[in-house]
Amino acid sequence: METINSEYLDEKLSAVRDLDFLQYRSKDLPTWCPGCGYFGIVDALYRACRELNLKHENIVTVSGIGCSGRTPIFINSYGFHTLHGRSIPVASGLKLAREDLTVFAVAGDGDALGIGGGHLPHVARKNINITFLLFDNSIYGLTKGQSSSTTPYEMKTSSHPMGNPDTPLNPVKLALAYGSSFVARGYAGNPQGLKDIIKIAILHKGFSFIHILTPCVTFDKENMTWKNLKENVYDLNVHKEKKNMETALRMAENEPYGTGIFFQDKKRPHYQEILKNMVSDG
Amino acid sequence: MKDINLVIEICGSAGEGTISAGEILSRFMSGQGFEIMSFDSYPAEIRGFGKCVAHTRISSNPIYSPGKLADVLIALNDNHSISQLSSLKENGMLIYDSQPPKPHEEDKSVVGWAKPGMISYGIPLNMLAHKAAGNARGMNMVALGSLAWFLHVDKQKFTDSIKNRYSKKKQIVIDSNVNSFLEGYAWTKNNIKKIDPYSFEGVKRSQQKEKLIITGNQLVAQAALDADLSFYAGYPITPATKIMEILSKELPKHGGSLLQTEDEIAAIGAVIGAGFGGKRAMTATSGPGFALMTEFTGLSVMAEVPAVIIDSQRAGPSTGMPTKTEQSDFESAISGGTGDCPRIVLAPTDTKSCYEAIVLALYFAEKYQTLVVVLMDFFLSNSIKNIEIPEKPSLKYLNANIAPDVEELKDYKRYKLTENGISPRAIPGTAGGISFSTGLEHNEYGRPNYSQSCHLEMTQKRFKKFKSVLSEAPAPEISVTGKSEFDIGVISWGSSAGAAHEAVMTANKEGINASSFSSIILSPFPEKEVIRFSDKCKKILIPELNFSGQFANFLAGILKRPVEKLNFITGRPMASEDILQKLRDM
Repeated sequence: METINSEYLDEKLSAVRDLDFLQYRSKDLPTWCPGCGYFGIVDALYRACRELNLKHENIVTVSGIGCSGRTPIFINSYGFHTLHGRSIPVASGLKLAREDLTVFAVAGDGDALGIGGGHLPHVARKNINITFLLFDNSIYGLTKGQSSSTTPYEMKTSSHPMGNPDTPLNPVKLALAYGSSFVARGYAGNPQGLKDIIKIAILHKGFSFIHILTPCVTFDKENMTWKNLKENVYDLNVHKEKKNMETALRMAENEPYGTGIFFQDKKRPHYQEILKNMVSDG
Repeated sequence: MKDINLVIEICGSAGEGTISAGEILSRFMSGQGFEIMSFDSYPAEIRGFGKCVAHTRISSNPIYSPGKLADVLIALNDNHSISQLSSLKENGMLIYDSQPPKPHEEDKSVVGWAKPGMISYGIPLNMLAHKAAGNARGMNMVALGSLAWFLHVDKQKFTDSIKNRYSKKKQIVIDSNVNSFLEGYAWTKNNIKKIDPYSFEGVKRSQQKEKLIITGNQLVAQAALDADLSFYAGYPITPATKIMEILSKELPKHGGSLLQTEDEIAAIGAVIGAGFGGKRAMTATSGPGFALMTEFTGLSVMAEVPAVIIDSQRAGPSTGMPTKTEQSDFESAISGGTGDCPRIVLAPTDTKSCYEAIVLALYFAEKYQTLVVVLMDFFLSNSIKNIEIPEKPSLKYLNANIAPDVEELKDYKRYKLTENGISPRAIPGTAGGISFSTGLEHNEYGRPNYSQSCHLEMTQKRFKKFKSVLSEAPAPEISVTGKSEFDIGVISWGSSAGAAHEAVMTANKEGINASSFSSIILSPFPEKEVIRFSDKCKKILIPELNFSGQFANFLAGILKRPVEKLNFITGRPMASEDILQKLRDM
């Protein structure tokens, strides 16, 4: 196999070191920059799949364009690298046609909130049963450092050398306002914590939205750096108050670095259940 | 027995029941054993008293085009009907309201504009409707009653057609309509002396086989269900919306699901997602929606994921004329998008072939792992025709994915370079078939690869795999065969093909040595066949409903000879009369 480095993963060594979760890693060498937060995210994803013992062939990861777009290549499962901003509609169609699959949609901040921002409200209100991971590094990385929809106001970027004139979006607040039935935030620097969130999200029957704070080590030297994130990110410890929208919205507004589950409505039927009920009701 | 061939138009204002009257007339005539084709024109606005015309052609023999001029015009509304008089034959028959609620000013009365050769019958439509049901709503039925007497058709059967049309309504609605019809019939019988020649007494009827009275859109939905469609995603747009509305009700009953998306980009995205999952999926749209979908067409081609898009064309560009028909998305369907992006394009030529086209589209998409565009138009989508019940697709057409075998799964290459260009496709859930698909250029494993050799090999593969498509597509329709030479060859596509065929048949009777050629498959195009046809013809005529001659320009490249174009952008379907005139002039 020409492009695959079979030396990369020493399976026996993995087993000895309890690295069994690495079976979910593909044998392709990631193309991300050394130190990128995305390594932590896929690590959490591998671990969540392992703990739930998901069958490789029953997982599909759908991505858009950008650094996050490459994610499916590095997962040992089916993957579909689609168009900029469009992982949500493709994943939705896939899940509705193949209920038996576990479907992840991944997107960056430019992907999900910029070019693809129009899809988020609808997948949320329809409550389509997919797990959505928003890799938010608040910058366009693959095109070398332009402002994105979550770049802080006045931050200097390559598209705004005099400072970003735009007010950033608040992804968690949006997801709540759009009516997502599961909203959480994780941190790339805490794969164990993120793994727990992803596991609950996979098991959640409906649309689950996970906002992930992650640094771009190459193009963001002042905002979401490892240093800043390490100092600011904390666990919300609010796992008992998952159904209160008012509290969730307040937390979304006031706690931009808090991680954990903001909101979960377990009772709300997901899209396919609704359709099935309608058919059986005539 | 004599043949009948009659065009009847009913013209009124939106909300006056013009379209329903036309529909009842068509269904009745079909039930009587005649061939029918009907077509409504209406404004894009729901209210606002726009002009509506229900156009129906009735014949003892097969019908290929709707007929350009009417023999009979029923004017429910004088204001709108004045402009419609130009579509009435010079010796045509006019039925108008002789006692409108407010007398018309001299130049506002339709009868005042009727030409001397026309036969005009004044019937107190409004007054009789009031008499029958207490309001003006039944005017359309009064007019049908009057027409029924003029045409000498079965009064009882006609009444049954009206009852059928309103069978789901309250009894009072049924009664009002039937009474209005009978009032119109009786009054005309008692008060009018018939001087027109139109009569159905003793005319030839076509075969009595059970027929389906159906629009292209309805037939598309039926075909999709019969061809095991699992998933539909769409966004409302005239004239394609009806397909979604029907499938929304029917698809879940067949175990499938439907998603009304936030826009057309999401619709085609979801279709490609479902296709990736190994299920049959499609979407239907019109020009403006197709423009958005173009974003995704390249992904379907590049990642080799099945997808079917129906583009029911309307007059463009941009928002254009949403309720008018045109054939101006040809170039966009054939080559819209970026890069070298081969796809299959089918264009049904009449209502019946819409069924065949959808079955084939879903089959081709799955087997060749590709995008298939089906080009319909406003006329095909909405015109009503009575057709024989189509035969359901055989098993071959329902299960077409070429899956990898055990040996291939040992070292699975999703984009394996094979002799015919088709790589066996493992769908998610297949153990051992784990693979990655991308819109980036890729190697046989689907891994991104930008080398010159890889891009060349993969591009060649994406073109090569269509080689056997033509052998599986229906052969082109050629109206006159067996002759070695023709003065004129007419090459047409889509809904214009029927008119071309009809024009050629009439021209042949007049002694013009012509033949016609049309193909349901436009890409890949049956080049050998069209060249063989062209070689027999001294002149080539290409009629189509667009301004620049998009199909003619495309064909000129294949035929490498001058061709004569005949273009209309009137918003109306192609008229065989116009092509016939051109054939005479050539």
